[in-house]
Amino acid sequence: MAFSVLIVDDSPVMRGFIRRVMTLSGFEAGDCWEASNGEEALAQLREHEVDVILTDINMPKMNGEELLRQLETDARLRSVPALVISTDATKDRILRMISLGAEGYITKPFTPEALREELERILGESHAQ
Amino acid sequence: MPNDLERTAIADQDVDFHVIDRVAAEVLETMFFTEAVANGCDHAWFGSAITARIQFEGSHVGQFLLGVSLDAARSMAAGFLGLAEDEMTEKDCRQVILELSNILCGSVLSNRWPDSRLSLAPPELAGCNCCKEHAVHRCFALTEGALSVTICCADAPEPRV
Repeated sequence: MAFSVLIVDDSPVMRGFIRRVMTLSGFEAGDCWEASNGEEALAQLREHEVDVILTDINMPKMNGEELLRQLETDARLRSVPALVISTDATKDRILRMISLGAEGYITKPFTPEALREELERILGESHAQ
Repeated sequence: MPNDLERTAIADQDVDFHVIDRVAAEVLETMFFTEAVANGCDHAWFGSAITARIQFEGSHVGQFLLGVSLDAARSMAAGFLGLAEDEMTEKDCRQVILELSNILCGSVLSNRWPDSRLSLAPPELAGCNCCKEHAVHRCFALTEGALSVTICCADAPEPRV
């Protein structure tokens, strides 16, 4: 079963890398949407059905922390799981993102296998090939 | 004989070197498909290098500087983007090096200071960022070319001579 994903990162080359890694990891991705900050992500989420959000933290306009706060306040979007992908491996940051509602946290650098394991855990194995 | 303060500074710098070496090797192998081996400094390649800078503040204040030789930059960018080098634009290459600086900076700083609270500015292309005083500096030999990492910190110890 294919799943739809929203990739939120201010770096276009990083968004492209995540797309490619998802393919390399063997995941069957359906629609794949992109946003360069939290504001764009919320606009995309209002237009499209998304199974999982992959989000960076440091972004202009609206960062990943604020995006998670906004998701929690929206009855429809609250149930969409978010996986944080960040370079920040500090304990304080990880705990803060989890407390804001993130379902998982992957630190860069990451392997295709690590991403696949987290997606499988979050979405359930029925979504994996 | 070094005194207690000097011994602490030397030990801190050894930890800095160890973290930079480990993180650089992991980042470059995992996401940029190249090997990085710590190497002696030879900055002859700096003239044509792509260089990036990230300012950081919070529990530590300073800047992270990255230099990548042109041949290494093109090779790593192609690997990261999954393209052949001749399919890639110069803009693509610079954006990948900015992303590399972002990943290296965040990963090195949060591994070096796991209990810290830091805010990182967006990476920007910078001028020549040769080794500076009061900084931790490492050079690496890559499969194709060279790379350098420099961390200038307001509370950095005096460099070891």
